[in-house]
Amino acid sequence: MSETTTEATAEAGAPAEDATPLGWLNTADHKRIGRLFIVTSILFGVLGLVLDLLVRIDLTDGEAFVALDVDTFAQVFALSRETLVLLFLIPAFLGVACYVVPLQIGASNLAFPRAAAASYWGWLVSAGVLIGAYAGNGGPYGGWSDGVDLHLLALGGIVLSLLIGAVTIGTTVLTMRSPGLYLDRTPPFSWSAMVTASMLVISLPVLLGQLVLLYVDHRYGRVFLGGNQGIWRRIDWVHETPQLFIYVVPVLGAVAEIKLAASRRRVFEPLAVYFTLGLVGLFGFGAWANFSVTGEGVDIADGLEGIVLVALYGGALLGSTVLFGVLGFTLFQGRKGLKVTTPLIAATLAIVFVLAGAALGLVGAGSDWLELAGRGNDGNPYLRDTVFTSGVQSLLIYGAGVMGLIAALHWWGPKIWGRRLNEAGGFLTVLVAAVGALLATLGPVLSGLLTEQPDFVYFDPSMTSIWSAWVDSSGAPGFMAMGVAGAVITAVAVGLLLLNVIWSVLLGKGVEAGNDPWSAQTPEWLLASPPPMGDGALADLTSGTPLLDASEVADEEVTV
Amino acid sequence: MTDTMPALPAGPRPRPRAQMVGTGFAVAAGSMMMAGALGLYMARRHASGPHPGHDWLDGAVVPNPQFDYALLTLGLSLVTAHWALWASRRGDRTHTWTAIATTLVLALGFFNMVMHSLNRMELELGSGEYANLAFATTGLALALAVVGALYLALMGLRSVGGSLGQDGSSPLGGAVFFWDFVAVAWTATWYAVYVVK
Repeated sequence: MSETTTEATAEAGAPAEDATPLGWLNTADHKRIGRLFIVTSILFGVLGLVLDLLVRIDLTDGEAFVALDVDTFAQVFALSRETLVLLFLIPAFLGVACYVVPLQIGASNLAFPRAAAASYWGWLVSAGVLIGAYAGNGGPYGGWSDGVDLHLLALGGIVLSLLIGAVTIGTTVLTMRSPGLYLDRTPPFSWSAMVTASMLVISLPVLLGQLVLLYVDHRYGRVFLGGNQGIWRRIDWVHETPQLFIYVVPVLGAVAEIKLAASRRRVFEPLAVYFTLGLVGLFGFGAWANFSVTGEGVDIADGLEGIVLVALYGGALLGSTVLFGVLGFTLFQGRKGLKVTTPLIAATLAIVFVLAGAALGLVGAGSDWLELAGRGNDGNPYLRDTVFTSGVQSLLIYGAGVMGLIAALHWWGPKIWGRRLNEAGGFLTVLVAAVGALLATLGPVLSGLLTEQPDFVYFDPSMTSIWSAWVDSSGAPGFMAMGVAGAVITAVAVGLLLLNVIWSVLLGKGVEAGNDPWSAQTPEWLLASPPPMGDGALADLTSGTPLLDASEVADEEVTV
Repeated sequence: MTDTMPALPAGPRPRPRAQMVGTGFAVAAGSMMMAGALGLYMARRHASGPHPGHDWLDGAVVPNPQFDYALLTLGLSLVTAHWALWASRRGDRTHTWTAIATTLVLALGFFNMVMHSLNRMELELGSGEYANLAFATTGLALALAVVGALYLALMGLRSVGGSLGQDGSSPLGGAVFFWDFVAVAWTATWYAVYVVK
């Protein structure tokens, strides 16, 4: 008999969900907070995509503005980056973690449920203020001085809110696990959520501290900022690689769960999964030092900066490669009973995108390192100063992020909404998203590599055209048109995902899911779909794979 | 023949307290926030700091004794905060509230001394790079101290209200831990901004 007792404890007189708007407003239920984060962040993701599309259209022409003008181009670029990272990528997976983590570890709620609710509402209000600041011409490159200050305050509010959410998730995993469910038995997604939460807690506050200094300086005299342009250069590291690797660790956690469930096997070395997830997160840390401190003119010995970046990308590549190998081997072992589903395809593509992102980042960092070593010899710009950076960014946000979200929502959709998302629609969404991510990445990457198209960070609003100092722009329009197509196609994929949710969940066309529609391994699939309020705790959970344990015991009994 | 009791299997390891772990995360976040701010301060100082013909302080004179007294006051408050925790763990309510009250009075003294020191410097926001950076970093450290004092006051009230003993003192332990961090953060700020300048 299995040592794992897996009965859900139904609390007598559990409170019913208050379906009124007030009920959503004052909720402290992790499932509702998770849903709020997920849905809102997807909507912000659509906004970010549209803004990025406008920027990409303008980048197709090095001589003149196409969709925007000199005043709005810089603003739209900055807002698109902030939206895609701080309003979409991080909160989307924070939402999934809010929903799934307590169910996976046998907790009835998050460690600080009120703080989690405050995190959501603080983030939403700050996001509104941020967009309002931009609307009033107050972003980092804005002309309205108070609006620029407002933008910094709103950004601080967003970062603080996300930090509160991260602290809640990290504390939940560390302290709310069912007695006997030790950390090395925690399901991979919960582990990855803890890794990301921990890394966010030690990286995002750097931005918070800098924002305070930037706010004070901008508001009082602009002594060291040198105008508004100084703001973006100091805060851009939070939207770029290698920091982006921290944000996609939960994608890898979801990938691990989906692949292991598909293989119907126990991973041959569980610690390798935990270790590699931690490695990818760990090597995302340090971006703040490289970009924010060296940007102040500190003398770094030639080559050292390059070595640090090579090491960061190399670590992320090593982690994702080993994880890919471990999961791939387990999947190969279980190939006989393999059932191809939308989450499995999306998960496979998501980890490939992470791997490719790390590999491309390593190519860029290695190239810059060589350039640093031969500084002054050929005058070539560093790859990180070209749109190559935007390409790698697209690979991780559109590739890993969007694809990972598609995988996660198709996988946990039954648990969140009680219905499976449409599989045919899912396959189409995955296909479209993959094509979109590839094109959105290849355009800027090729343009950066072959035409050395400068990155936006070095944009000077006093110029009459976007890149008047850019010597040879031949070929770039074609590459950037590819990038535009990629953004459009990615937007279509997100639209398809939303349509699928509306069709399957809101219109009730999706197949009603039982407790475990995937023959999964992890504890949340023991509970009803969706688990009713106050009925989420699993008593005496001692394994992160109770369903696999049970099926193995059943197989043994049949054999005997 | 004697019956022997079979050894019971060991129970699961006790989980760390959520509040203490949450405070640990907050301390980590606060440490990195101060590291980011002080890192930017030092980077700016390196880039355009003191050099011949350039007064980095813009004519300001740092009142060292006053800042030293502020640090000393904060150090004393650490002693009384730990006294409160010690008393709370022993279930001694009288000592607990006496120590908490003393800690809060010392915290007020610390705030007062820092404000007094800043007034004596006659720095004005916007008057120069040092002024802006000093105000911003000091403001951040003081904001952490305000949060720490409020945390200490609330958890102190909880202790005085009956949350005593080894288990009951955990919330106060979290607050004292945060106050320890406040002291470290202030010491780093003081050293970087007012000693090394």
